[in-house]
Amino acid sequence: MLNRTIHDRGMPGFVVAILSTGICAAARMVLGAEPQSDLAFLLFVPALIASAAAGGLAPAILAAVLSISVTLGMEGLPKEMTPDHWVQIIVFAGLSVAAGLVGDRMLRNADAARRVVADLEAREAHLQSILATVPDAMIVIDEHGTIQSFSTTAERQFGWTQQEAVGRNVSSLMPNPYREAHDGYLLRYLTSGERRIIGIGRVVVGERKDGSTFPMELSVGEMRSSDQRYFTGFIRDLTERQVAERRLQSLQGELVHVGRITALGEMASALAHELNQPLTAAANFMKGCLMLLDREPVDRGRLREMISQAGDQALRAGQIIRRLRDFLSKGEADRQPESLPQLLEEAGALAMIGAREKGVHLTFRIDPQTRRVMADKVQIQQVTLNLIRNAIEAMEGSERRDLVVGAAPGAGDLVEVFVSDTGHGISPEFTAKLFQPFMTTKDQGMGVGLSISRTIVEAHGGRIWAEANPGGGTSFRFTLPVADTDNEHDHD
Amino acid sequence: MTDPQVHVIDDDEAVRTSVAFLLEMADLPARTYGSAREFLEVVDSLRTGCVVTDVRMPGMSGLDLVRHLKDTGVKLPVIVITGHGDVPMAVEAMRAGVTDFLEKPFDDVALIAAVRAALDQQVATAPYPEERERFETMLGALSGREREVLQGVIAGKQNKVIAFELGISPRTVEVYRANVMSKTGAHSLSELVRIALLAGL
Repeated sequence: MLNRTIHDRGMPGFVVAILSTGICAAARMVLGAEPQSDLAFLLFVPALIASAAAGGLAPAILAAVLSISVTLGMEGLPKEMTPDHWVQIIVFAGLSVAAGLVGDRMLRNADAARRVVADLEAREAHLQSILATVPDAMIVIDEHGTIQSFSTTAERQFGWTQQEAVGRNVSSLMPNPYREAHDGYLLRYLTSGERRIIGIGRVVVGERKDGSTFPMELSVGEMRSSDQRYFTGFIRDLTERQVAERRLQSLQGELVHVGRITALGEMASALAHELNQPLTAAANFMKGCLMLLDREPVDRGRLREMISQAGDQALRAGQIIRRLRDFLSKGEADRQPESLPQLLEEAGALAMIGAREKGVHLTFRIDPQTRRVMADKVQIQQVTLNLIRNAIEAMEGSERRDLVVGAAPGAGDLVEVFVSDTGHGISPEFTAKLFQPFMTTKDQGMGVGLSISRTIVEAHGGRIWAEANPGGGTSFRFTLPVADTDNEHDHD
Repeated sequence: MTDPQVHVIDDDEAVRTSVAFLLEMADLPARTYGSAREFLEVVDSLRTGCVVTDVRMPGMSGLDLVRHLKDTGVKLPVIVITGHGDVPMAVEAMRAGVTDFLEKPFDDVALIAAVRAALDQQVATAPYPEERERFETMLGALSGREREVLQGVIAGKQNKVIAFELGISPRTVEVYRANVMSKTGAHSLSELVRIALLAGL
């Protein structure tokens, strides 16, 4: 490649050498320089430099040879070659080689620069074509959060045009409290280097130009260019159905081990069947005992045996219930320190799929003090998802449909999570029975969601309850143990 | 000791023991079997009595047993106990020719009454003649639409399917269903199915 370019530009270089030497010779004749003067070769230096610049070493040497020949031809060989003549010729020849080498190098640099530019242009075009076609939106921000680049998909997702978005702070793409907190997040990362999202990716909430919010999956990469740092965010809108379904499927795969909401119905039915056995037997034994008591004389041995059997059956019913509890709580093995904001945001984002169309507005109010809890993430997300879904259903007939999901430090080593709605509320006589199995106010409900939620929360060492909001609607609250403070900084 | 009159088949030992105990206290000596197969081994030697069997059992189910007895010409009356009475199961049981069916957990009085009626049936020609007459009168009191809804229900159709077929709203179907329940005095779906089938709807 390099050789070819040198050959390619060889021809013009040699032409320049011949022409420029000719011009210099003509100039010398016109100026009528003193023959054999000390300046004999000086007038040919411009030709030398022009040739070197145009073609590098070879044309420069050609120009030097031509210059020497022309000079000698015009003046004839001096009768006696003085050392001065030799010095002049040698200096001139040396100069031509030096100029030629410098020229070569310049030309090579220019070539390389041209190639780099062409390369960059090709890459830029490639990148643009990718950005225009990927289904994910891409947004680049600098260290201050100012948007540097905003892809076509981002325009579609957020409703801002590129012109409007570039130069804005990226926090205008997220709802409060993140909008206000985002500069703080950036600063914390820049000063501490602690990664909360960069290179990890998570489900968060975005806000469109019209103020509506949507669940999205965000992954962030970091890039350094000279001494500036840039962050590139890839955003996938989870409300876009296909994508959402794919994502949901994978998340639901994770939920397999906790009876999923749909499977809960089946489980309840199987449970009802299994419980029927000991209940039937116990009832029969007791009723039989009543009849036995009416017979004179009373067979006390038989009576004792049958009552004991009835008792065993009641215990058997209890064991069935215990097995269900064990199945749901799955021991403590899966409990580990989890980031509560992330856990709640993901559950919220998933539960909100399809709910925005119903006019439900979700706000997170998570106290920054409450970060990590000891929890089986999937189970607690199941509880949260369940509560949010209930809240959305409760608000179907309401004018205001504001949903707040939040967390704050509770008593002792507990964190309190709440899901608050502006729905129809719960009548006081029902509040007491809310968490009992098979209690439901819904037409289609099995009445197992809240009782299973309670089982999960209590298995975590927490408590769950409901209370009426002063302004109408209901708040469900549950507590979870804080993760060990020793582990507080023990994460990447 | 009198010969056992009732043959109790249930794979759950506690259930069959307790049923037998209850019947024994009502002077209805019973014998228990852990499976339908176990019962079939002795069935040929039986001339009188009745069968009380669970539906859901491993191997041969209660309904399979009923059909098998019918096919082999065994005329013993059968009372079926269902785990939880879904309509299609109840309809299938009645059509298979069971004398009666009960939903778990059942009332002791209901079980004893059913067994007594089944044993009496061996003497009488038609099952429950008075009851049948009473049910027929009840169904006669239903309106045309109520009858149509009831037919849909015992065919095991969902409310919305019935609504669609009759060209009325599911809400209205619910109202008709409630009317049917109150007019027949049925407390549960399976009871309703029993009434309707015995009355020959």
